[in-house]
Amino acid sequence: MTTQAMHLRRAGAAHAAGRMTASGFFHFVTGHYLLLPIGAAVALVWANTAPEGYFTFARLLAFPVNAIAMVFFFGLLAQEIFEETMPGGALHDRRRWPVPLIAAVGGTVGAALTYAASIRSSTVPMFLDGWPIMAGIDMVFAYFVVRAIFHRHPAVTFLLVLALASNAIGFIALAPSFLFDGTRAGGSGLLMAVAVGLAAWLRRKQVRAFWPYVLICGALSWLALYLEGFPPALALAPIVPFMPHTRRRLGELFEDEVDAAGDSPRHYEHVWHYHVQIALLLFGLVNAGVMMTGYGEGTDATILAAVGRTAGILLAVAAALAVGLHLPAQLTWRDLVVVALAAATGLTFSLYFAIALFPAGPLLAEIKVGALLTAAALPLAFGVAWLFGVGRFHPRLHSFRR
Amino acid sequence: MKPILLCLVFAALAAAPHAQTAADVVRFAVIGDSGTGGEAQYQVGRQMASARSRSPFDLVLMLGDNLYRRASPEVYASAFERPYAALLADDVKFVAVLGNHDSPESVTYPGWNMNGQRYFSFTRNHVRFFAIDTNVLDAKQLEWLDQALSTSQEPWKIAYFHHPIYSNGKRHGSNVELRIRLEPLFLRHGVQVVFSGHDHMYERLKPQKGITYFVVGSGGQLREGGVRRSETTAAANDQEQLFLLVDVDREALRFQAITRNGAVIDSGAVQRQPST
Repeated sequence: MTTQAMHLRRAGAAHAAGRMTASGFFHFVTGHYLLLPIGAAVALVWANTAPEGYFTFARLLAFPVNAIAMVFFFGLLAQEIFEETMPGGALHDRRRWPVPLIAAVGGTVGAALTYAASIRSSTVPMFLDGWPIMAGIDMVFAYFVVRAIFHRHPAVTFLLVLALASNAIGFIALAPSFLFDGTRAGGSGLLMAVAVGLAAWLRRKQVRAFWPYVLICGALSWLALYLEGFPPALALAPIVPFMPHTRRRLGELFEDEVDAAGDSPRHYEHVWHYHVQIALLLFGLVNAGVMMTGYGEGTDATILAAVGRTAGILLAVAAALAVGLHLPAQLTWRDLVVVALAAATGLTFSLYFAIALFPAGPLLAEIKVGALLTAAALPLAFGVAWLFGVGRFHPRLHSFRR
Repeated sequence: MKPILLCLVFAALAAAPHAQTAADVVRFAVIGDSGTGGEAQYQVGRQMASARSRSPFDLVLMLGDNLYRRASPEVYASAFERPYAALLADDVKFVAVLGNHDSPESVTYPGWNMNGQRYFSFTRNHVRFFAIDTNVLDAKQLEWLDQALSTSQEPWKIAYFHHPIYSNGKRHGSNVELRIRLEPLFLRHGVQVVFSGHDHMYERLKPQKGITYFVVGSGGQLREGGVRRSETTAAANDQEQLFLLVDVDREALRFQAITRNGAVIDSGAVQRQPST
């Protein structure tokens, strides 16, 4: 049984018994990855009712949450993605990659151009440096929505490759701002080499416990990134490929089998499932609190960029098909529109890119409001799926169910 | 020889009080959100020149949004050089900070005397000014500010920046996120007066934890009805574009808010606190 299924079953059992216990509620919200939006909602209310208390709290927790707790989120994400590239994973068949990769480039270009055009036509040129933020696609929520609409379908793989590539472009685009901001300590390359080398050695020694990878290699990697001025939250990303992995089935992202032996990376995922969700709750709580007066031209530009990304994805795919590439089997244009809409959601990744690029203040607040509002793309994707009759809304599926 | 020496001594003593007064008064003007290039900005510029003929000053603080269009020689000319031509001709020094509508590259524009820096400090006699960039208030700038404030020995420390940390403006209001970063430094190091803009109106707030805050965001722009007065408002105006004229001697800072029509709509004094 998958971890998520287990949470949902527990929640469902509690509900069936006519009561939603605290435990059932917890399993429900963790099973649906709702702690991030809950944290964000609490932060928004708090920031607008008791701003001084909220911002003092957020400032205090910003570093521990964004630089340390989020290590586990990005570590889990890296783990999931890496395993998806293994046999049986959604990303294993690389022949499926070219079109979504092209879509990612098109989407990022579309978002960045729309953003730049919006900023250039505004009177706030200071936002122009923020274009890499527009590459951010929320891999968790977009995935869940596309998965909820299509279940096991090539659309899910398409979204994963698209989001992965787009976020990778975002991180690469952000790199110069870290490299040239004068905070580099130097010599960290050696530290990173030691971290990766040690992980390789542990792998060679067939160490299956995940703690040495996380606590020793991860800590060294964290320090190397931190000293170099890069986001240390990515510390586990270079370590994860060396951790032992197991095959997975298509569509298993974020929902893993409990490992009986208790020492495999699956155990890592299982153990950290809650920790990551707590990290996401804190991330939402610490970063999503903005005062409503923070809305401005940067917000408009961020929202327009999300529209530009959807358009860019569709145009890029059209161009790819025009030069002879093919959509994955069973993926129609209607499906693609739904995927492109879901991919307009920046949320976690846009927030993360934004806080990496802008210090706290009015510019960041405007972008944050925009990043939060892009979450509107999720219900929109559901609505369009219903309108188009795709995925779970497909008429044949309904007649079959009846 | 003796009578001549005595005459010289008397002359020196007679001149001394006047000379001391002149040296001990730092006079400057403050404008914010000025760079529209519109008629109201020109009127404010003329009133500044008129005020200067009565009360000479050679310094103007610009609180950001100094231009509302993309920076270019023509835009600098129409929204800065021409409105303040009379002052510039008399070598009045404008020292700016950037607002959210300004171009980052404007830090090198010679007319604003920022010398390529987003944040900096400078001294006029007994007054130390701290120009802060609230667009990008990063850890490095906060560290600099802490250091600069702690080493300042001047009796008066005045900070100015674009986004107000206390304001009753309807559109933006107080930026609390900036406040929790800046206010502790101001309190720790004895800043007594703060000028900012962003909200397109004028407001003087009652001292907040001992610091007097001015919002002077109507040097060219104006949001009529843009003030939501509260118990923290000491005086406010959202009907006229204006500038602030300030005199600082060793014991007090005196101010007048003068509209584009020459009316004084607020005036008063801030006494220097003994501890600072």
